[in-house]
Amino acid sequence: MKVSVNWLTLLPVLVPALAAILVLLVDAVLPRRTALHWWFAAAALVGGMVATVPAARAPVRTLCGSGQPCLYAADRVTAALQLAAFACSLVAVLLAVPVRRASRLTAVEASAVLSATAGAVGVGAARDLGAWLVLLELATLPLVALVAFRARRTAVDGALSMLTTALTSFGVTAVGAALWFSATGSATFLGDAAAQAMLDDDKRRGVVLAVLLLVAGVAFKLSLAPFHAWTPEAFDGASTPIGALLATTSKIAAVAALVVVLRSASAISSSTLYVLGALALASMTLGNLMALREQRTLRFLAWSTIAQAGWVVLPLSTVDRPGLPASVAYLVVYAVATLVVFAVVTLVAHADGRDAATDLSAYRGILRTRPVAGLALALALLVLAGLPPGVVGLVAKVAAIVPVVHQHAWWLAIGAALNAMLGVAVYLRWLWLLWQPAGAAQRDPAHPVHRVVVALGLLALVVTSVLPGTVLAFLR
Amino acid sequence: MVAALWVAGVLPLLTAAVLLALSRLPRRVPETAVFVISLASAAISLVAAVLVVWRRPSVDLPWVPGLGLRWQLGVDGISGPLLVLAAAVTVLAVLQVRTEPTKGGSPALHQACLAAVQGGAALTFLARDAVLFFVAFEIVLIPMWVLIAVFGDRSEPGRAKAAATTFVLYTVAGSTIMLTGIVGLVYAGGTADLARLSGSGIPAGQQTLLAAVLLLGLAVKVPLWPLHSWLPAAHTTAPTSGSMVLAAVLLKMGTYGVVRLVVGPLHEGFARLAPIVGTLAVIGILWAGLICLVERSLKRVIAYSSVAHMGVVMLALASGSALGLQAALYGNLAHGVISALLFAVVGGLKHRWHGDDLQLARPGARDLSPRLGLALVLGLAASLGVPALAGFWAEFLTVVAAWSPADGRSVGYFRVLAALAALGAVLGAAYALRVARLVWAGSDTGDAREPVAKWPDLHAAEWVVVSTLALAVVVLGVWPNGLMQLAAPVVRDLLGVAR
Repeated sequence: MKVSVNWLTLLPVLVPALAAILVLLVDAVLPRRTALHWWFAAAALVGGMVATVPAARAPVRTLCGSGQPCLYAADRVTAALQLAAFACSLVAVLLAVPVRRASRLTAVEASAVLSATAGAVGVGAARDLGAWLVLLELATLPLVALVAFRARRTAVDGALSMLTTALTSFGVTAVGAALWFSATGSATFLGDAAAQAMLDDDKRRGVVLAVLLLVAGVAFKLSLAPFHAWTPEAFDGASTPIGALLATTSKIAAVAALVVVLRSASAISSSTLYVLGALALASMTLGNLMALREQRTLRFLAWSTIAQAGWVVLPLSTVDRPGLPASVAYLVVYAVATLVVFAVVTLVAHADGRDAATDLSAYRGILRTRPVAGLALALALLVLAGLPPGVVGLVAKVAAIVPVVHQHAWWLAIGAALNAMLGVAVYLRWLWLLWQPAGAAQRDPAHPVHRVVVALGLLALVVTSVLPGTVLAFLR
Repeated sequence: MVAALWVAGVLPLLTAAVLLALSRLPRRVPETAVFVISLASAAISLVAAVLVVWRRPSVDLPWVPGLGLRWQLGVDGISGPLLVLAAAVTVLAVLQVRTEPTKGGSPALHQACLAAVQGGAALTFLARDAVLFFVAFEIVLIPMWVLIAVFGDRSEPGRAKAAATTFVLYTVAGSTIMLTGIVGLVYAGGTADLARLSGSGIPAGQQTLLAAVLLLGLAVKVPLWPLHSWLPAAHTTAPTSGSMVLAAVLLKMGTYGVVRLVVGPLHEGFARLAPIVGTLAVIGILWAGLICLVERSLKRVIAYSSVAHMGVVMLALASGSALGLQAALYGNLAHGVISALLFAVVGGLKHRWHGDDLQLARPGARDLSPRLGLALVLGLAASLGVPALAGFWAEFLTVVAAWSPADGRSVGYFRVLAALAALGAVLGAAYALRVARLVWAGSDTGDAREPVAKWPDLHAAEWVVVSTLALAVVVLGVWPNGLMQLAAPVVRDLLGVAR
């Protein structure tokens, strides 16, 4: 079979993948050049962002066999997810630049970040089962290594629990994929094979079970309750830039993978999709309740991620057409706000030491001691809570609720409304500390790169709050 | 004239942002500069609000195309008076901050919060788009939270934060439930334009469901019994300026939402739920009245009287007639002025007494501070519904409207409610006189715990604040027609279209 390949279309995946190998080659030629590797990775990620432009303008596809459907396809929504994945990895890389670490590991770390990004970018465009499975794992496994590289006991614990989860979820998704193949007779997420199979009573059970297993496998990566258990440990153990990567790029990969499954299975009944709604509600509730009592910053962020993942999935639980873009819009807003929080945490951790940043009480009075970082943190928390002046977070929540209400799923809507309240309680706890008088501790100046990232993050949040349309442009 | 719209709605928000930035500067900004900036902003937006009500400009710009969210701004006879009230009370609250030293944070932050509350309220009243209405509604929450939590009463540790958080959580739960109702309403009505929603002809069954969801959310904000318990706590701890805007600005937004979102577009659904709303409103009136008879904290008494007054407004709405709607709109505005006056007076007293416990023996306010005493008596008289003061028309017209409710409502049941509301007015008179006796005339029989023997009378800015509000109470009471005529055409439209 002859397959036509359009290399330009594949560039978003190829750039980070090739760069991941190049980093290692450069390291072999010029060993121990720590900063170089990070800047090289950053440049590659910027290149990847440029490469997503064609897909953002008009749908693209490639890897088409003669008479066969194409195995790589990207449209506006996919391009938005790819762009977001690149941007999140870029921020994580920039945050990592100033962090001191063993120089022999830098190249491997940069390479791992790049390959995880390649997986995250590719999985949303993959249309065959095999590539989808492999890319989903590619987006996950390098992160296990990245967490473990911090080489503290907590980091190794976190990495271990991540690894166990990754393997389990791989098993679940693999079984789901096998069921999909046996029920639909197709090893791709294309065409109307699933819709055809739904017409047959026996096959319908197979398809529904396959979708549920695939969703469960992705739910591990997305840390939806009850598949969330690895998250707090991994966040707590990882270095903060890697935490940012876990909280954003990895989530984007999981949503992209979920979108591929749900799009191809659009014929399945809404009652099956309500399983997603139940998962969303469970995640929100559990994440919010646990975050209400959490004192450790990174664990707090982990619970917050779990709760926010519920909001991301909420609009997907409807078969309504605007559900998908609403979910992506929410994800993007969540990613921007979470990155800003992680940027501030990294800034404080780098300047004052990790112990000074990993307890919530360390942020007392930061509005006075570090006004820009404090304002950025305050605004990011408000965006996550969905309250003005974090208007963009509020608009994203509105967008997430709209498809649920159109579906008349009132139990989901009311559950989400109560969780919006719980979420506000969660973030106000932290916000409250920012107003408190600060301790007398000596403050070291922050690293310029961190300061620039935080300032840019603040700017991004302000601009998107004034013009939420910029982020939600692809909702149409 | 379109510029006036933006000045009325957005200028306060910009001022808030500037003041917030000033409060974060490493060098301390002079207090007078902060005061001048915030007073100028509030005054300019008051002038703009008056211009907007007079010339009625409107704006329609896309904002978030993906959601169909638009900057659709304009006023009518219902929202216009509320817009002016919000701006005017904010001017007075800004002056009030000057008289009471700011505790807990910088004056710039305090004024920034007041400006942000005003901006959010102005946009709420200006919004002609249902979703923009919701977004504007949410703007006021965080500034109000900061006002209560940071600048609130610090006499009991932790209480200010608890009260502020209770306020935010209640309101956020209410508004997110309201959001689901708004989204359902916009979907069912096929438009987000508040003016066109009224005639969109939604089936009756769906109307009841949507009205129930919307009322559940809005009941928190009005507040309607039994969802009122955040209000007394918030009022007790808030600084005087915060209490004034809470009573005169935030509470107006809840009832305004009921009129705009429920009474107009969901006429039939509301008619079906009206007996429940009326019952809860009357329970609220009696409940609050009974509490006021025994409550020791003066600020809590005024806060509970707010609950009773909002119950009156909701009962008027529940009656469903044109007169009832008029009474509700009038009562809403009257309550804004009266409670702002009472909170200004009571805040001044609390400051002078170093507390607001009514059970302490104290000399009478009429001897030590005749102006303050007079203002208190005037406010209490208006609150209990003495004729020729603002409160009278609200109570009187409400009872009349409830006595003969609109078609489709059980006349007998509403007459019982009207009788009970009249009983509530008697309770109102009883607690108003109790407070007047204890505070104005003085008492020597309470717990003797070092009472303050002397305090200064109203002076300068405080005197301006109180006398302006007192004047407004009298003018509204003597000449209610102006307001009624302003609202009459809109009331006809709201009810006429629905029939």
